[in-house]
Amino acid sequence: MFDLATVFEFTRDTVIFTVGLTAVLASLGVILCSSPIYCALYLISHMICLALLFLLYNAEFLAVVQIIVYAGAVMILFLFIIALLGGKKEVQELTFERSIAVAFIFTLLGELYLSATVGPTKQIEGKINPEIFGTAKAIGLELYSKHLVAFELASALLLVAAVGVICLAKFSFAPLKRR
Amino acid sequence: MDWVTKFLDELWDFIVQSLSDNVPLIVGSVKAIVIAVAVMSVVPGLVWLERRLMGRFQVRLGPNRVGPFGFGQPMADTIKLLFKESIIQSSADKFLFHLAPAVVVFTAIVAFAVIPFGAPFEVFGQNIELWGANVNSGILFVFAISGMGIYGMVIAGLSSNNKYSLMGGLRSSAQMISYELSLGLSALSIIVLTGSLSLMDMVVAQESVPFILIQPLAFLLFFIAGVAETNRAPFDLPEAEQELVAGFHTEYTGMKFAMFFMGEYINMVTMSALVTLLFLGGWNTYGIPIWPILAFAAKVVFLLCVFIWLRSTFPRIRYDRLMTFGWKVLLPLCLLNLLITGTLKVL
Repeated sequence: MFDLATVFEFTRDTVIFTVGLTAVLASLGVILCSSPIYCALYLISHMICLALLFLLYNAEFLAVVQIIVYAGAVMILFLFIIALLGGKKEVQELTFERSIAVAFIFTLLGELYLSATVGPTKQIEGKINPEIFGTAKAIGLELYSKHLVAFELASALLLVAAVGVICLAKFSFAPLKRR
Repeated sequence: MDWVTKFLDELWDFIVQSLSDNVPLIVGSVKAIVIAVAVMSVVPGLVWLERRLMGRFQVRLGPNRVGPFGFGQPMADTIKLLFKESIIQSSADKFLFHLAPAVVVFTAIVAFAVIPFGAPFEVFGQNIELWGANVNSGILFVFAISGMGIYGMVIAGLSSNNKYSLMGGLRSSAQMISYELSLGLSALSIIVLTGSLSLMDMVVAQESVPFILIQPLAFLLFFIAGVAETNRAPFDLPEAEQELVAGFHTEYTGMKFAMFFMGEYINMVTMSALVTLLFLGGWNTYGIPIWPILAFAAKVVFLLCVFIWLRSTFPRIRYDRLMTFGWKVLLPLCLLNLLITGTLKVL
């Protein structure tokens, strides 16, 4: 009869393959769909598929953060703007076949460039502690020891950007008067 | 007929083998089904509790005609909702219109999966753990999934093609995003105290003293933000009838309408369970002779009653005040509390 180990290895591979394929199809939907609401929803499903892929490779913390930050916080703002501007369908100037052809050409060129510059895939060097792999602890240890300066610089950059946005978007605010 | 018996034997062996090899998988599936069914069947009971308690708070009887103590009322309501005609107006986006309530209920049920409600125990040599999934970053998982629930409301507002729905959807999502910050930041002080993101570790850390005594301000902030996060009164702006008809679910009828309320009630249970785990010591009994799981359930039911009590006590607050309260009062207080907690922890 069947060898169970291979059966489950097979199902795991199938799940990973299905999730990856869904991610690719969703990202295609983002650029090929004409209604902005559906584009945003495709992008959300793409993010969720990426989070699932992280989860399937045991990177639990990364998966959760991916959902909170990208699928949760960033994409809800996209949907807000679409709702405020009114999500009308756009008329596509390019025909479908032409856009496919252009995309295909660029993909081939990109592939050519990649295969010329990047060698065969390599394994990651160094040790990984399997006990804490994928947890918040592992990421924290890495982030706050090796990459502390870069991390702090990035956070300062983001803070400056946030303050700048508030300065640019500032409007004279008169509180509501009681009638 | 020899090959038939041989085949059956092999098949039987295969089934037994695969069952004994995959006990964790089977236990996991059973737990998933039990949790999903239990969480969904809590909803009618909660509706009954809310209507009865609201009746008492307002010095009237509440539903008492159908069955003893009105127990048949939720059943009758459910049957009515199931058989009601489902109306979809012709200008709505059909796919998104159907998707929205499903997203709300799905995320509400999934968020409950990581809530532990008792210490693990042994049955037939199997270590049965009383939670759906042991996620290391459990509390982050709950926040992530409940954040995805906002999409249900936004999609409902967008797809209905109705200005009241759109405004209601935008309002509720803006409110939930604003209060999610306070929710996360007040939970962060507990994370700092325990040094872990796992809900299990948080309960273990409260074995001697519940965190409500150590972090009373964080408890208050978390509970207020939790009430706002579940869109309950006095923060039920999306359903402000005078301004918005009924908010994002204006166009919904029948069971799809009820699914939004199912989501809301399940979120209420999840939030109460979260408050219990974070601040009230989870299933720790503190010397009272009672089963730990009953202690947990009692705390959750008490918090649910507080939710209902709040609804019948406070009037709805105005929208701009709601946002001002969230950003200018709750958020600074959360940051201050976090700062103090962090400083004390380092010292």
